[in-house]
Amino acid sequence: MELPELAARWMHALTPTAYIPLSHAEIEHALLDSLRELPESPESVAKRLVSLHATGPDSLSATIEVLSPSFELPVLARLSAAYAQAMRLDAFDQQEQLKVAIVRAKQRVERTLKVSEARFQEVFDSAALGIAITDLTGRCVEANDTLAEIVGLPSGADVVDHDLKEFYRPEDLAPLGASYRNLSEGRLDRFRDQRELIRADGEPVWVLLVVSVLRDADGRPTHHVTMVEDISELHLLQRSLDHQLLHDSLTGLSNRQHFVTQVERLLDGGPITLYHLGLDAFSVVNIGLGQDTGDKLLKIVASRLGRLAAEKNAVLARIGGDEFGFLTVNDTVTSTVEEIQDVLGEPTFVDDHGIALSASIGVVDRPPSFVTAAELMRCANAALRQAKARGKRQWALHDPHDDARRRGKYALAASMPGAWEHGEIEIVYAPVHDLETREVLGAVARLHWDDLSHNDTMALADSTGLSLPIGRWLLREACAQAARWAEEFGDGAPTLHLALGALQSRDEDLVAEVKRALDETGLPPERLRIALDISSVLAGDDNAVVLHDSGIVTALDGFRGGHDELAVLTEVPVRSVITRAPAPTPDSPLHQAMRALIATVHGFGVRFGVDEVHTLADAEHWRQAGADGVIGLLPALTSAEVTDLLRAASQPPGAS
Amino acid sequence: MAEQVSWVPEGVDTGKPSAARLYDYLLGGGHNFAADRALAEKFLKAQPNARAIARLNRAFLRRSVLFMIDEGIRQFLDLGSGIPTVGNVHEIAQKADPEAHVVYVDFEEVAVAHSQLILEHDPRATIVQEDMTRPDAVLQAARESGLIDFTQPVGVLTAGVFHFVPPQADPNAVVAAYRDAVPVGSYLAVSQFTQDLQPEEMAGIVEVMKQSQNPMYPRTKSEVEALFAGFELVEPGIVPTPLWRPEGSDTDDPDKAGIYAAVGRKL
Repeated sequence: MELPELAARWMHALTPTAYIPLSHAEIEHALLDSLRELPESPESVAKRLVSLHATGPDSLSATIEVLSPSFELPVLARLSAAYAQAMRLDAFDQQEQLKVAIVRAKQRVERTLKVSEARFQEVFDSAALGIAITDLTGRCVEANDTLAEIVGLPSGADVVDHDLKEFYRPEDLAPLGASYRNLSEGRLDRFRDQRELIRADGEPVWVLLVVSVLRDADGRPTHHVTMVEDISELHLLQRSLDHQLLHDSLTGLSNRQHFVTQVERLLDGGPITLYHLGLDAFSVVNIGLGQDTGDKLLKIVASRLGRLAAEKNAVLARIGGDEFGFLTVNDTVTSTVEEIQDVLGEPTFVDDHGIALSASIGVVDRPPSFVTAAELMRCANAALRQAKARGKRQWALHDPHDDARRRGKYALAASMPGAWEHGEIEIVYAPVHDLETREVLGAVARLHWDDLSHNDTMALADSTGLSLPIGRWLLREACAQAARWAEEFGDGAPTLHLALGALQSRDEDLVAEVKRALDETGLPPERLRIALDISSVLAGDDNAVVLHDSGIVTALDGFRGGHDELAVLTEVPVRSVITRAPAPTPDSPLHQAMRALIATVHGFGVRFGVDEVHTLADAEHWRQAGADGVIGLLPALTSAEVTDLLRAASQPPGAS
Repeated sequence: MAEQVSWVPEGVDTGKPSAARLYDYLLGGGHNFAADRALAEKFLKAQPNARAIARLNRAFLRRSVLFMIDEGIRQFLDLGSGIPTVGNVHEIAQKADPEAHVVYVDFEEVAVAHSQLILEHDPRATIVQEDMTRPDAVLQAARESGLIDFTQPVGVLTAGVFHFVPPQADPNAVVAAYRDAVPVGSYLAVSQFTQDLQPEEMAGIVEVMKQSQNPMYPRTKSEVEALFAGFELVEPGIVPTPLWRPEGSDTDDPDKAGIYAAVGRKL
């Protein structure tokens, strides 16, 4: 066979046995060279085969198969032996290369590690935090100088082999030990704590501890890292802040807040007595002799009461400008009151002014333990007000019954804004009856809240400052409702009557409010009657005049028949007056007087209405006395109920 | 780890076989350990044609580089280059044009050290140690190498790489990031194991590779096609390795080639 043909066959046999990174032509050319060389130097052919990477498991056998017909066995034997040797050397070379690569990789990893260790060491050494690495028993294996400084040792190296527990307070050993165990047992990743450590020199130091856990490559915890921040300065500052927050800066006594917490604390113990002292006429001192003198006086009082408190093992606080709290346990009230007045009564000279001192004292004695501290403070204050009402140097025991009455009203007033906001205050409509025709003249819009009447509700609203906003709300809502009735029922709709409270009657914005309500709701002005509180008109307010000028019919509510009221009727253009009075029975002497009064009112061209007339008999008595209209004969209804009634009334007979 | 060679330093786990050293062994190389060879035996049992598959894949890499050289590409980014074995990209490219530049990218310590050893005296080739699935880092390192001018077309090579990229690493987005970094006229070469050709053998390979540091994720033809979004596939498209622009008359059975090969040109 010709050599080129043999080379081609060899190439085809060889290429499937190994990857030779050359083109077929290049491989064939190399093999042709090898064929020429083979008889003289089978060794160099073997080397070339290996260097070509004809090194697959079957490369040699494929070669022998192709070449054996054309070459002698000894040549092929030499080729095989040399090929094996070249493969061996090649493998060694490659393994050597791999080894070098691995060593280099390792060196690089080590270098990276060294850099990162150096970084860590720098952080560790220069950290403002103390850092200790401890084994799981608490023995320190590494610590920085900052930590050494905190615990009072010369350097980080001196901390090594110490147990961190040596620096804990004995009572902290158990809780801290538990926290460390939580870390090493994997229940926590990290914990923070604030503790007092004991330095090597025995001095305490407040620290913030942040502790985490170090794990080995398999994730098993091996060490704890404890970072320690010295917060003692911070701690002192915090304590001073706390003191300032809980103490009165003038007298150094506890302040009200601190006193309340002390009351809370003692409430569960033995029977306590709370005294609320108010210095009598202290404002006179302050104004008459100046505030500096007042302050000095307060300090003197504080120190005298302080001595008494120390004697009696009592808690003392300044709980207001000239008010002190005094809390005792297992005490006799009368003797303590005496003692308090005695220490205050000692002659007192401030800046050459001789000042006589006394206090009014409210006392809450042996309250049940379920009351709250805030409740106690309130009761004591209430008792103090009673004592003050009686004059100087008086004391009063808290009376729970009296308190309940007073409180009911306040509590109600206090809950009013919330009730309004939550829609608990409703508007209801009470019919106004004409006494002559017995027809319904209109509907009075009124507030209704729980079982309180309109007037009670308005009075409460006045005491909370809510009367204006509630009155405006009533005005707008009622106008809107009346407008809806007017639209649906036309002439069958009731005229809207509104009786305003005293504050709203005087409100400068009243006329504008009324006009706005009419504009916004579309209620025709002739369908609205506004009753103003008569006291506002007596006081000279001109709302009634302006409303009249604006085409709105007005009335005066709260008419009692006095001269001044009658005089007003001659000046102010009102349509009617409204009164509240017992019905004048025909056999009563008042009957005649009332007839005369009503006649007088009629004489001014003014109609006479009566509110709170609840029985037909009373209505009849009023009719006989000459009154024109009454309110209250029928219970007030909600707007929906009124609407239903109006609908029923407007049905043509038999249409149902 | 009785077979651990004494000169292997700590920190290099020769007990756990690696795909790169397995590939080297299948190609007839000597850069491998007993564990790799043991894995190779299992691999051969699952896919008796494994040596041919490795050879054909390596041959595709060579032909794709030479094709790109013909198309005027003179700078190559070889992603996931592994340990240097026979017929490395810079050898092929620089044989065709000594001025060709190559940046290899691999993450594995030994592969990187080994490549540095080989490339020590070649100023036109280097290796950067980055994870090829983090294109931003790779591209920055490639720029810093000074060997690749991203205003000129680049040959991006991913031979036998994406089958080690799990779906959750979003291979399409990885390719897209490289695509967006290179100019129009750049080329992308992909070869990737597929279950389309021999599903049973492929399943066996996946099972075997679970024991290595590099589990394998074969992809269908359409999944391979998705990698070429924004590229125009050059003839003959996505085909088994021996059918991609073969040289002369190879006798290898394409149905047993295990791996799809394709090259695309950036539009």
